[in-house]
Amino acid sequence: MKKQISYWKEFSKGLWEINPTFKQVLGMCPTLAVTVSAINGVAMALATTFVLIFSSMLISTIRKLVPSQVRIAAYIVIIATFVTIADFVMKAKFPELSKALGPFVPLIVVNCVILGRAEAFASKNNPLRSLLDALGNGTGFLIALTLMGSIRELLGNRTIFGYQLLPESFQPLLIMILPAGAFITLGLMMGLANIYMNKKKKSEIDSVISKYKESKATFEESKA
Amino acid sequence: MSNLENQSVNLIPKLELSSSPHIHSRYTTQQVMWLVNLSLVPVIISAVIFFGLYQLIVIGVSCASAIISEAIVKKIRGAEITIYDGSAFLTGLLLGLIIPPNFSLTATAIGSAFAIIIGKELFGGLGYNIFNPALIGRAFLQAAYPVAMTTWSKPNFAVDTVTSATPLAAFKFDKIVTEIKPLIIGNVGGSIGETSALAIIIGGIFLIGIKIVNWRIPLSMILSLLFFSSIFWFIDPLKYPNPLFHLFSGGFLLGAFFMATDWVTSPYTSTGMWIYGLLISLIIVVIRLFGGLPEGVMYSILIMNAFVPLINKFTHPKIFGEGK
Amino acid sequence: MNNSIKMIIVLTSIALVSGVVLSGVSNWAAPHIESNRIAETEAAIYLVHNNARSYKKIETEFGKVYKVYDEEGIPIGYSIVSEGNGFQGKIRLMIGVDTALTKITAIEILEQVETPGLGSRITEDEFKNQFRNLSAQPSVNWVKGKTPEKPNEIEAITGATISSKSVCAIINDVLQKARIEKQSNKL
Repeated sequence: MKKQISYWKEFSKGLWEINPTFKQVLGMCPTLAVTVSAINGVAMALATTFVLIFSSMLISTIRKLVPSQVRIAAYIVIIATFVTIADFVMKAKFPELSKALGPFVPLIVVNCVILGRAEAFASKNNPLRSLLDALGNGTGFLIALTLMGSIRELLGNRTIFGYQLLPESFQPLLIMILPAGAFITLGLMMGLANIYMNKKKKSEIDSVISKYKESKATFEESKA
Repeated sequence: MSNLENQSVNLIPKLELSSSPHIHSRYTTQQVMWLVNLSLVPVIISAVIFFGLYQLIVIGVSCASAIISEAIVKKIRGAEITIYDGSAFLTGLLLGLIIPPNFSLTATAIGSAFAIIIGKELFGGLGYNIFNPALIGRAFLQAAYPVAMTTWSKPNFAVDTVTSATPLAAFKFDKIVTEIKPLIIGNVGGSIGETSALAIIIGGIFLIGIKIVNWRIPLSMILSLLFFSSIFWFIDPLKYPNPLFHLFSGGFLLGAFFMATDWVTSPYTSTGMWIYGLLISLIIVVIRLFGGLPEGVMYSILIMNAFVPLINKFTHPKIFGEGK
Repeated sequence: MNNSIKMIIVLTSIALVSGVVLSGVSNWAAPHIESNRIAETEAAIYLVHNNARSYKKIETEFGKVYKVYDEEGIPIGYSIVSEGNGFQGKIRLMIGVDTALTKITAIEILEQVETPGLGSRITEDEFKNQFRNLSAQPSVNWVKGKTPEKPNEIEAITGATISSKSVCAIINDVLQKARIEKQSNKL
């Protein structure tokens, strides 16, 4: 049995280490399609997180009851139920937002982040850990979508969350709120994330190597 | 633990790898780039004649922005600063020639920087870019500033009947076919450097003459354009414009001589060049006649740029004795 | 065998629970969703007829028509919902016309998926206000690059001629159908 990681780690790994957007590269369809503004990104991520949390917990609770042959079917039914609830609530209480997100709310059903976490994590861990994992992944997704929505809204419309930040003299880059802008933004963000990761990895390797050399030197010194 | 030590040693490349263009020629890359820049002088002169001296500022901003972006990216990447090889200058110059006259200087600078940073350097710099950087810059501007990119100035010697719309737009939206003579001279609406067929042909023939540009791509494009547009013209001469109008209007000639022939983003086999040119013109005719946009040279070349590795693969000559 | 029975039981019960939960949520949400929809339609009906106080829904062959009345119950015109193809997809309009179907009072864009910043400018007041008190006799026309001269002309948006044209075409199309209905006294 592998060593259990701490509860905090269970939550925080979703923020960066296995960030759904930058690391797992899951849920690209809503990521690219709805992030034309920061508020859309937040709404989409919150709806996804809601579904993620409840389906993860429920799936984790019944994980021992579901025969493995029908587990995917069972997961999809559970996920679809929560998505439909989210869709109804949004339509009833936030009609404007529901209109802006359009068909992408029902499409959360097939969002790979949710099925991915259900299959990779919730089906193997207890409800508490699944909740933390879902929360972490949801938050990671929220950060990524908010960031993307903000960048695209800022450059494409001069605003973030509707507040104008760039002066009138700035000609908005319409491409940023078109689909092409989504791909460019996502690509650049992932590129930057990779640069950061590679630097980190390299410095880790370097430190290991220098430590090794140091210990070797001291070892040889003591031998001499 | 000693594995780690070996690993760090392995990071040093043992073999020098480089991408195309590595054609043996009598010129160095640097000479080629500056010769292409030189060949564009007639086009620049035609731009000044038809759209005024201000276009020099637009072109200048485009070149300056391209060079500065290249220098900055190279510095960040820690690579050798190669701004004197003229390739960034060429990208800036070409971009400056394919945007509308009197285009906003800020937008020009943004487009040019985008062309260099995203279109060229992010792919690895000169020789590694999949798409023609100048066209990437223009495609970006087209999507970013659609209104400004379709706002045309009247040429200086415009007769009253000439509108500021480009001949292709005039045809697409109002069914007006511009005569051939002003199209050849360049006294029509259009991008800064694309209107004068004469100036472009002078520059193009110079490049072919000194063997920098392979004649196959322009010839294949021209023949293919004439062929496909003739088919439609014969079907219905009222609905579809004549082949010569297709040939001399819009950005076709500039694209055929200066964009599609870019060494890095065009095929290196002779058969490949014929196929490449043929397909570019086919897409151009389809976009011009049936698409939502009046002009399709930019997208056609970009689309075919993506197919270049495939064309190269299929037309690669078999080495004698190599298996099937 | 045992396993397949377990599979059936588990899946059935999950589906059952899901069905029960969803029907509950649906019962709660349905009236809200319905009232949102009605509020939206009503707002659009009154938006194109400033003086209207009440309306009557008429189902016609070409879609929904709302006959609107002023404070005293006198009919002052129609609000017509119509849709057609724009540059990229459907444009849905609410068109306000007078009782004779010859003058447009105002229009409102209900749905559109035109290019942001170009075609989507049909939703801006600058474009929509051109339709205020616009004559639709014999039809709505558009001009490009110049100020409209005739009472039935509007100026198309620069760079979005197709979207502007589509709006005019949708209006002309539905008005023509409405006029035929009107002649047979169905409106």
